[in-house]
Amino acid sequence: MTFTLLSHQWRSFWRSRSAGKNLAAQIFIGFMSLYLLGCAFFLGLSLQHFLPRVFPGQDIIRVFCGLILYYFSIDILMRFMVQELPILSVQPYLAQNIRRSQLVRFLNIRSLFHFLNLLPLVIFVPFIITVIAHAHGPLVAGCFIISILGVIIFNHFLILYVKRKIIINSWWLVGFLGAVGILIALDYFHVFSFRSLSTSLFTSLIRSPWLCIILVALGLGSMVNNSRFLRKNLYFEEIARRGRQRQSTEYTWLQQWGLTGEMVALNLRLILRNKRTKAVVLMTFVIMLYGFLFYKPVYMKSAHMPMILLAALFITGIFIMNFGQFLFAWHSGYFDGLMSLPISIREFIRAQFMMFIAVSTLTFVVTSLYGLISWKIIPFQFAAFLYNIGINTVVVVYFSTRSYKGIDLNRSATFNYQGTGMSQWINILLVTLIPMLLYLCLAWLFNDWVGLTVLGGLGLISLLLQNWWINWLTNQFLLRKHTILSGFREK
Amino acid sequence: MITVNNILKAYNGNVVVNIPQLSTRQGEMVGLVGNNGAGKTTFFRLLLDLVRADKGEIVSNDKNVATTEDWKQYTAAYLDEGFLINYLTPEEYFYFVGSLHNRSRSNVDEFLKNFELFFDGSILRSGKYIRDLSKGNQFKVGIAACLLREPQVLILDEPFANLDPSSQLRLIKMLKEWQGRHPMTVFISSHDINHITDVCSRILLMEKGRIIRDFDTTADTLQELESYFKV
Repeated sequence: MTFTLLSHQWRSFWRSRSAGKNLAAQIFIGFMSLYLLGCAFFLGLSLQHFLPRVFPGQDIIRVFCGLILYYFSIDILMRFMVQELPILSVQPYLAQNIRRSQLVRFLNIRSLFHFLNLLPLVIFVPFIITVIAHAHGPLVAGCFIISILGVIIFNHFLILYVKRKIIINSWWLVGFLGAVGILIALDYFHVFSFRSLSTSLFTSLIRSPWLCIILVALGLGSMVNNSRFLRKNLYFEEIARRGRQRQSTEYTWLQQWGLTGEMVALNLRLILRNKRTKAVVLMTFVIMLYGFLFYKPVYMKSAHMPMILLAALFITGIFIMNFGQFLFAWHSGYFDGLMSLPISIREFIRAQFMMFIAVSTLTFVVTSLYGLISWKIIPFQFAAFLYNIGINTVVVVYFSTRSYKGIDLNRSATFNYQGTGMSQWINILLVTLIPMLLYLCLAWLFNDWVGLTVLGGLGLISLLLQNWWINWLTNQFLLRKHTILSGFREK
Repeated sequence: MITVNNILKAYNGNVVVNIPQLSTRQGEMVGLVGNNGAGKTTFFRLLLDLVRADKGEIVSNDKNVATTEDWKQYTAAYLDEGFLINYLTPEEYFYFVGSLHNRSRSNVDEFLKNFELFFDGSILRSGKYIRDLSKGNQFKVGIAACLLREPQVLILDEPFANLDPSSQLRLIKMLKEWQGRHPMTVFISSHDINHITDVCSRILLMEKGRIIRDFDTTADTLQELESYFKV
């Protein structure tokens, strides 16, 4: 049964209307993943030479043990960003003679095929085989591998569970982010240390290998928990939707801006009332936390300055990048209607710019608190902020006039978390690469501050030319209007 | 009001719409009939500049619809659910459309009172987003939003298809009343030849993208159409 369902998935992938268009992107992603796996493998192989240099004079097995849970705590965050819920429209299967538990098993197995489940194995297994097996024998090494599998399974199903819970009740999101935030803060301020926990856990594994059972049990527990939840909620969506009362909301304060205000209000409702767009907002918040990872005092030395800029670009611009790349596609469900209403495209684009600038300013102001770590963060963020609202807005909107694929905002959400996958990150890379290169050249020729000033200055000049840009983008849109419309109509 | 000159639209070599010449007067009710694939919906999309014509032009009030946007001020259309912003409540959608025509909230509320009977109590204050309404109710929202714009040109694609029988009759009555107070050029397509000969003063019969008959509605029209559609 599971096999039949898997083959249906395989067919739905190759027979989807966009298969041809996506193929190039898929191949590119495939190569990227292979490349990353290759890098990870070499990292794994060279750990034994690499660890003694970074932690001189310490026992490398001990150091290795300390790193394992550290890796998996970052792994959880990565999964939260990248891992999609397995998509299968179960609707056609629910009425067939297929047991629920079979569907659930399929969904679980399908989800396991993920890059992030392979990555830790590729990194850790070479070291375990070469060093730990050598020092403590094959039994201990085997138990290490089993424990790592246990943690992978645990993380994997934990994230699926949390994501599904979030879809049903947004408070889970707040809870999850809060918990992660607190843990990061505790680790950051040395109240609690993942490293020492990990060290004590895995070094005791060397002494008594049977302890790996605990980790395997944790993994299985997480899987069972997820399956049980799925079995109960295979039809949750329909029930939940029927019961809830919907209220009209008013944004009176926006009405003073006339048509532009109305468009912004429409966007707000779009964002707050659809799963896909809510995910964008969520991402904006999560990325704001990245400051804790990247803005560390050790990185403040000039050799690591580009990292700071990269983080600043993401933190102040993630909303622009994420929301902007589908600027028109968000409205694809009713674009025919929108285009026959008396709304000028110029106003439409202007409203988007207004929203980008407002959100970006807000994130910039809030994340300026990172200035408490070091004042140097603020000029970096400011330059990135200006560049984002001045130039990246234009770039992103331009590319969105070239995207002809609609987005279905109403797809049932329990089995669907599209939109926060790998391809999006590649898209984002383009928007960050150009300013990074510009900055690196200038920092190399002169110094960091010249680089920042030029970045910020360019952003500011471009921002002053905004009206001109909006006219240009309007013309770009009108050139391709019919192609966009017919693309959106194709479901 | 609307003039069609040599319009041609083809997809992969299949001609979908091919109308050498057509003009309509203000206040005319034009009905389009024809089997599936006759090109009715594509013709409507061409009227709204939603698809690019391969050849020819459509002129609305002396202006080409593909190069100007003035027609959007006085043209309202409802072709399918793709014309509704489905995550809004019906009220929010009406206010949004109203604001594009400088109508205040209270003005819109006042206007919607005319629709109480048509809405049948299941649209306003229903506590639902448009996407949660049934197809028929979505259509009602669509047509009310069209009339809210007080258009001079109204385009409806198969308005009777999803409505219950009493709503169909109410719609016919409403269109006739509106036309009396507020003359507009109306394009309606339908498979229901009874209704369409009842509402429309002029019938266009389409087949494979062409208009093969164009006649004013008389007592014989219904019979003539029935003999065309007979199997």
